[in-house]
Amino acid sequence: MTASYESTAKDRVFDIVIGTGLFAADWSNCDRISSYVANLVSQRRTDSLRYANLFSSVLNELLEIAFRCHHAPGEIACTVYRGGPGDSIELSVPCDAATRTFYESAVAEACRADVAEHFVKTMLDEHRFDPQIGLMALAADYQAKVALDVSSSDRVTIIVDFVLDELAR
Amino acid sequence: MSFTVRFDANNQEIVLAGAIRPHSGDELIEVRRTLDHALDAVSGALYLNAKRLVQLNNAGFHEVVTFVRRACRQKPDLRIVVITSSYVGWQERKFSLLRQLGPNVVVEQYDKAFYPGQSVLEDSRFIPVLRTQTKLTWRHERKILPRHGLQPGMTVADVCCGIGDFAVLLYKEFQPARLLAIDHAPQSLAYARRVATDFGIDAIEYVQGDAASLLIDDNQFDFVTCRHSVQVFDRPELILKELYRVCKPGGRVYITNEKNSHCLGEPRAESIQWTYNEVARLWAYFKGDIEFGPKSRRYLCDAGFDDVRMESFMVTNLDGDPQDFADVVAAWEGFFAGQMAVQRGDSAEFIARFRQGFQDHIFAALHPKGYAGWPIWAASARKPR
Ligand SMILES: C[S@@+](CC[C@H](N)C(=O)[O-])C[C@H]1O[C@@H](n2cnc3c(N)ncnc32)[C@H](O)[C@@H]1O
Repeated sequence: MTASYESTAKDRVFDIVIGTGLFAADWSNCDRISSYVANLVSQRRTDSLRYANLFSSVLNELLEIAFRCHHAPGEIACTVYRGGPGDSIELSVPCDAATRTFYESAVAEACRADVAEHFVKTMLDEHRFDPQIGLMALAADYQAKVALDVSSSDRVTIIVDFVLDELAR
Repeated sequence: MSFTVRFDANNQEIVLAGAIRPHSGDELIEVRRTLDHALDAVSGALYLNAKRLVQLNNAGFHEVVTFVRRACRQKPDLRIVVITSSYVGWQERKFSLLRQLGPNVVVEQYDKAFYPGQSVLEDSRFIPVLRTQTKLTWRHERKILPRHGLQPGMTVADVCCGIGDFAVLLYKEFQPARLLAIDHAPQSLAYARRVATDFGIDAIEYVQGDAASLLIDDNQFDFVTCRHSVQVFDRPELILKELYRVCKPGGRVYITNEKNSHCLGEPRAESIQWTYNEVARLWAYFKGDIEFGPKSRRYLCDAGFDDVRMESFMVTNLDGDPQDFADVVAAWEGFFAGQMAVQRGDSAEFIARFRQGFQDHIFAALHPKGYAGWPIWAASARKPR
């Protein structure tokens, strides 16, 4: 696993690259990585703890999706960008055809105009937990903009842009 | 951070705490058992208390949904009250979905009334009291703190930081590697941030939070301070438990508290004494224990700490400008007699006599041969390695 943190860089604030084998060996990696990264990127926010708590829940959902669906060997890369009040996370995972289909479908669901209602319906009506729901939740709960970059043949990159209004009540 | 799910049959309450981030609901077999047991046991209302729930992933939330749905089906008359925290930013939005599961599902936000005296203490008129107090106590504490283990370069948290003036002084004197200052009152924090900006200090993290449930991982700080605040809570052990949790093993927790009935002055000792005895009663009415100071040792021991160090110091009119001391007492008079006693519904006669003791304390402080004192207990203890 490699990680770097540059507090001075303008956009890119954090990078982490981890082998899928290592990452997928332990579910608690999602929690650990998201807490760690959230604490780092939340420094100098007006309310660092509140920000870190929200950031961690966003990043954790993304990492959990990658954990649940990464069928090809390789590396998972996560990059955090900051621009003004907003943050952006890019999560890139190695993929085969099935993985690609999964992400295409999950991102399409998260981009529906009625994502908020759709999320509620899926969460409340489904008796089984739907692993795609994480992305919908980001769109519904945080008004995150979710996009997919499929330009590489063996990787997909999920791009999530969001603004955590840390002090809003 | 791990999690707990407990059922308190007495209050018909399920308390969720920590970070619940399971891979699948199947990991929560124990939790399901607790929930089912709770559902069997309750009638009338079931409280789902999420105040101390820091994280919940969607897999975990799905479990909650499943449970509430089942509860609505099995006991259609049961009121299900979900209590959320305003500090945990995602809770309100997420839990409000549960309302759609049935007409008896209520979601309430809880951020008030952590302790009964709260409304009084969070009044922004309290700010001048705190400011003058810190000015006086700092003269002593800057020398006392190193004896309790504070050194430059440490990671420090000041819990219940008030208007943040102590944090600024600590920052300048001890150059901590990290300084996090937490309080519940937004007005105080806004003030704190403004002061820090004016002083060109941007390294102090002022954050809003509940001292009894901090959004901080375990074992983070070398030195955790909590001044004049353990004494205002009706359940001090809850705060101490959190201070303990966030302190690193081998690190220390430092608390200061008063015993107001021991405030003293000459001349006019009797009137002064009477008034401060009444201050202690007044706090007790609001469920605070302003007599806590000497109890610090016992509470620290009971919270699991070792190596307790304790000392007392007396802030007096001779420490510096006697007018500073008089200003603090005047602020107390305004606050205790002008607000708290009024809120308690005291008679005009009582309030007049109550005020007189403060006036006499001021008289003693400013008298050329007078002496006036305010005793404080500083105690610290180590979290075992
Ligand atoms: C007596 S003041 C002491 C403030 C400061 N430590 C000082 O010495 O000036 C008590 C402080 O505790 C804060 N407080 C009360 N309940 C709290 C809670 N549940 N969580 C965090 N802070 C709280 C109040 O807002 C207030 O600023």
